[in-house]
Amino acid sequence: MGSRLHPAAIAVYAVDALRQGAFPLLVILAVSVFGGEFDAQAALRAAGFALMGTVVAALAGAFRWATTRYSFGGGETVRLRTGALSVKEVEIPFARVQAVDVEQGPIQRLFGVYKVEVQTGGGGQGGEVVLGAVDEREVAHLNELLRRGAPDALEAADAPPAPERRLTDRRLALAAATSGQLGVLLPVAAGAAQLGQQLFEDPIEGERTLIGALPEGVLAWVLVAAAVLALAWLLAALGTVVGFGGFAVRRERDELRIRRGLLQRRQATLRVARVRAVRVVESLPRQALGLAALRVEVIGHAKEQAAAQTLFPLLRRDEIEPFLRELLPEMADALDGLAPPPKRALRRYVLPPLAATALLGAAAALALSSPWPLLVAPLGAPYGVLGYRAAGWRLRDGRIAIRSRRLACSTVLAPAAGRESHELAQTALQRRARLADVAVAFGKGTIARIRHLDADDARGLWAAIGPR
Amino acid sequence: MSAIPEPAQRLAPHARWAWRATWSIGCCVALVAIALARDALPAPWETIALALALVALVVGTPLVPELRWRRWRWEVREHEIDLQRGILVVRRTLIPMARVQHVETERGVIGQALGLSTVEIHTAAGSHEIPLLRDGDAGAIRSRIAELARTDTDEIARTDAGEPARMDAGEPAGTDDG
Repeated sequence: MGSRLHPAAIAVYAVDALRQGAFPLLVILAVSVFGGEFDAQAALRAAGFALMGTVVAALAGAFRWATTRYSFGGGETVRLRTGALSVKEVEIPFARVQAVDVEQGPIQRLFGVYKVEVQTGGGGQGGEVVLGAVDEREVAHLNELLRRGAPDALEAADAPPAPERRLTDRRLALAAATSGQLGVLLPVAAGAAQLGQQLFEDPIEGERTLIGALPEGVLAWVLVAAAVLALAWLLAALGTVVGFGGFAVRRERDELRIRRGLLQRRQATLRVARVRAVRVVESLPRQALGLAALRVEVIGHAKEQAAAQTLFPLLRRDEIEPFLRELLPEMADALDGLAPPPKRALRRYVLPPLAATALLGAAAALALSSPWPLLVAPLGAPYGVLGYRAAGWRLRDGRIAIRSRRLACSTVLAPAAGRESHELAQTALQRRARLADVAVAFGKGTIARIRHLDADDARGLWAAIGPR
Repeated sequence: MSAIPEPAQRLAPHARWAWRATWSIGCCVALVAIALARDALPAPWETIALALALVALVVGTPLVPELRWRRWRWEVREHEIDLQRGILVVRRTLIPMARVQHVETERGVIGQALGLSTVEIHTAAGSHEIPLLRDGDAGAIRSRIAELARTDTDEIARTDAGEPARMDAGEPAGTDDG
């Protein structure tokens, strides 16, 4: 299949191989040269090693070049095949190509060839197909094929008014005050607590005096934990102010323009066609105040900023639907009125986290020979109950809403047609209880999952999202 | 609420041998690791761990690959890819053709020995696998998915319902003869 890369690829691959092997080689070189006194023989030996390495790398490069084939399949698919022992073949339909990056590194410049990276919306680092060395004619050919496939840009007849929303200073302060992520704080606090205990314990008679010293130890513990929590909270708040200061979002035809940042202004433009889902995130402190953050899942390619992910940092819960209707009607839907999982699912939400925290607490209590970690043991129960209360789903007019909670409560709103894939899953235990899980993936950052639905509901939901 | 028929295709019968190989190698590695770490473990646990690894080797090697192979079903239709798999957790996944970004086949060392390749389907949200198909089938399926993904874009789906249905007849049937 297809054609070989330009022979310059041998050099490109050889340098790749050398770069991977370079560090150990350098170490060998340094050790043999500077290890003892300067020794001509050792230096010669090192040079020998380096030469050998270069030859091996050149051979590896030649092998890789000889086993690599690519083709542009007459403008329909980009194909790449590499390897002989373990073969890898990639096909990308032209319609899915988001970007083609052409660059010329030092080696490519030497040979007058180009490196081509073909990017899809999959958005991993680097291209899904990388051609290490192709000549100018092939690059021109590829660009020609791309142009032929690209649909003409749509021109809107007349510009409708462009709605805009800004984050007020009061809201910014509120967002900062509530930005402490419990999930980040807890491990930090736990680590600090342990450190505190070690610091304040008598290092010599530690174990024996532990129980006697407990009140003092615990007090120190609590103080350190509180200090760390306060510091973490302050840092998070500061980060929010710097990152979201002057936040404004504006809708212009089929684009969303987001400006933000106090010290460094950032601008991002999102094509609405690339927005697949909206996520309403209610962290515990914000939920208590009836507030939430709005995020969007955007399909893009590797070099686009993840900064575009926050659609608005803070809204009152009841402002969200009107906000969406104005700025992103494609995703707008009601937040409430979701169907909960059946009552019998409750214990399945509660038991696993309860077992986890109980085990953790018991293990920590044994390891530290102190009863205090046992306080953690029952925490799994409220976590599970909150998870059950939050869980809910709805599929109406082709729009999905799925809510779930880990620490923060997260509601995904999206047209079902925008999903990347969806899954029905049932464990052996769920089969007996006639329950099942549904997960709908909208992008790398957004997988809406609802656990322990009635099996018939789950199958119905899965099938209704179904082929089209 | 139309019921979607279960996927019909199976993996290559040889897939079981590939899984048996990887499973038993994994168990042996675990056994060696436990034997080496013998002194680090407290008294009863070393024996328990060894026994578990042994049971996994003796019972699991014939059982797990067989069950896994029996459960694995897949089908590539005009508008979606349908996967069903899993022993303890049964998963059924539907991937719309319009969302397929690119397709790969990959063949590892064990696959090389048995002539088996794995098809990887990438969407913007992640990747899915149809593991261990015969080399020729895997290549054909890769090309067919790429071809269907090329024609099945959102725009075409909305405006051009008369897309020719070139399916079914060309189904690579060779994957099920065991």
